[in-house]
Amino acid sequence: MSTAARQAGLVEESALAASTRFMRRASCWTFWPALAKALGILAMAAIYVPLVWLAVMSFAASPLSGIPYPLTMANYAQLIGDERWVPPLRTSIWMSAIVALVCMVIATMVGRAITRMRRPGPVLLLTLLPLFVPGLTMGAALFIFLRIMMGLTLGLWSIFVAQLIWALPFSLLLVLVVASRFDLRLLEAAEDLGASPWRRFWEIEMPLLRPGILGAGIFGYLLSFNELLRSLFVRGVETTMPIYNWAMAASQQSQVPIIFSLSAIILFVTLPIMGALFWFLFVKLDRD
Amino acid sequence: MAFSATTYAERATGRSAESQPEVAAEPLAGADAAGSPILEVIDATHVYDGIVALDNVTVTAAAGEFLTILGESGSGKTTLLRLISGLEKPYRIGALRLGGVDVSSVPAFQRNCTTVFQHYALFPHMTVGENVEYGLKVRGVKPSARRGRALEALRLVRLDEKYDRRIHQLSGGERQRVALARALVPRPAILLLDEPIGALDEKLRVDMQVELKEIHMRLGMTFVYITHSQEEALTMSDRIILMSRGRIVQEGPPAEIFDHPANRFVASFMGVEHLLDAELLAIEGAMATCRVGPATLVGKWSGTERPAAGAEVVVGVRAERLHLADEAPEGVNMLPCRLGSAIYKGKYLDRTADAAIGDLKIRLWDSHHTSENEAIAWWKHQDCMVMSA
Repeated sequence: MSTAARQAGLVEESALAASTRFMRRASCWTFWPALAKALGILAMAAIYVPLVWLAVMSFAASPLSGIPYPLTMANYAQLIGDERWVPPLRTSIWMSAIVALVCMVIATMVGRAITRMRRPGPVLLLTLLPLFVPGLTMGAALFIFLRIMMGLTLGLWSIFVAQLIWALPFSLLLVLVVASRFDLRLLEAAEDLGASPWRRFWEIEMPLLRPGILGAGIFGYLLSFNELLRSLFVRGVETTMPIYNWAMAASQQSQVPIIFSLSAIILFVTLPIMGALFWFLFVKLDRD
Repeated sequence: MAFSATTYAERATGRSAESQPEVAAEPLAGADAAGSPILEVIDATHVYDGIVALDNVTVTAAAGEFLTILGESGSGKTTLLRLISGLEKPYRIGALRLGGVDVSSVPAFQRNCTTVFQHYALFPHMTVGENVEYGLKVRGVKPSARRGRALEALRLVRLDEKYDRRIHQLSGGERQRVALARALVPRPAILLLDEPIGALDEKLRVDMQVELKEIHMRLGMTFVYITHSQEEALTMSDRIILMSRGRIVQEGPPAEIFDHPANRFVASFMGVEHLLDAELLAIEGAMATCRVGPATLVGKWSGTERPAAGAEVVVGVRAERLHLADEAPEGVNMLPCRLGSAIYKGKYLDRTADAAIGDLKIRLWDSHHTSENEAIAWWKHQDCMVMSA
């Protein structure tokens, strides 16, 4: 039997080391897919249950008690009556839009340059390293550099700088994913057919890099809109939405219920917009 | 750098100008009336990272000519093509003229030549029609006129039905033909083809050879065609330039390169099976007598310059020109040999034989030949080539 098995190219179980035998059996267990499914469901629940709970609690009379009943619209009424949250929201919307735009432009330019380099490794590492710098460290470093060393008056511009530093590496990564797959020979073909450098970029390169560039913009916007740690240090006297929320939630005030309803509103507005945007980017454009 | 610029200037080729009159290309309407070449690359030298890719190469093409640049990978043929299209800036060049105008400082997108790339380089985000029209779009041709001319070019490659298709819906052969149509549509003075059918399978390759030749004759356009396949070169070209290590080894019409290789490299590239080191005994008129081991052989001299007696030369003969017999006729080269194995190839039979000068391969078309062990291999003096080493 054993000779026959060996001749047939099969390996005898007993000839294997104990650890190898265990791995071979373990890889055949049938509960792996079930386990994966269960873990996936757990992860989804961990994300969405708190969100839904937050939305529910925004209708609770006293959200901090943890009991949703009695339901009330009082928090929303108070939110509408109170106008202090409007300027921070306006600041955040504009700030994030500018950060997103600048991210798209810089990420596109740098991403194109890096993929044309002969040895992109060191530059790539340097540009992506800020991803691993803790937010507090970066914020403190920026504060010390801009305020104490340079003696500058901090404000919207320094918030912009801090958020750009935070969002740019992510945007760059997204552009690099498409730029590294872009076939530079297509540009040579276009050049050969008579296209000027400007046309080559807009008609050949840009359409093929577009998913990455738009992705860079979306993530730049999201990262900027939610940024708190770095902005806190370099805000000067300015307030963005996350800073306002944080200050309100942290203080022992009666403002807390408003935060619940405000967060719920932002959630209900942004989630569908983001969903539609992603569908357009990765389903619609792909299909065309 | 390891090379010195002056050495290249000293090695003038000078050969290309002499072989020009052999080309029977008729000047076309639009070509220079004096019949001057439509393409002139004079003394081009190019270097990549200290490696000489092109070493003082001079190439000219007459209007309407089908010129093939033949060579192995790394011979500099693609570099030469990229210099002509402008996608590569030469390290040093005497002159680069298209239709008599020096374009050596003109960027690629303003030169009147287009390329069919080996990798096709079709734009994946455009339809077949948009790809083909691109050369016209950048020239500012109106959409309606563009469409007409694109359809006309697609009809030429029998793909006008696929105008609205996307590139990824096409087969390899169809993509290749779209690339050809795209390059033809702007009506360039010269069409450059960089191993355009190398990636296709055998059957398609043979079909495309015929198709390309027909398109060339119909349009009367100048084609500069790059390939590493001697078969493609022989089938399609008016003239072949054989390159090796950045230099031109030999140039001439297909028959001349095939039948009169100038040296061992050319002969072996053109598939001459038997190449024997020999000593030249005498050279009279076109015929050379030489000694190969114990045998004395007579053949046509096909080298460039005529060496003196005693020089080292190479004797070449093709397997299909060898005959086997019990007795050889008069006035031929002959070698007694012992027959070895036979390989059945369908249309013919390859027979190996052991002769005093080494192993021979004899291609027999009438396969019912002698099965005896001893025989005489013979071949005509006309079928024997004697060339430079």
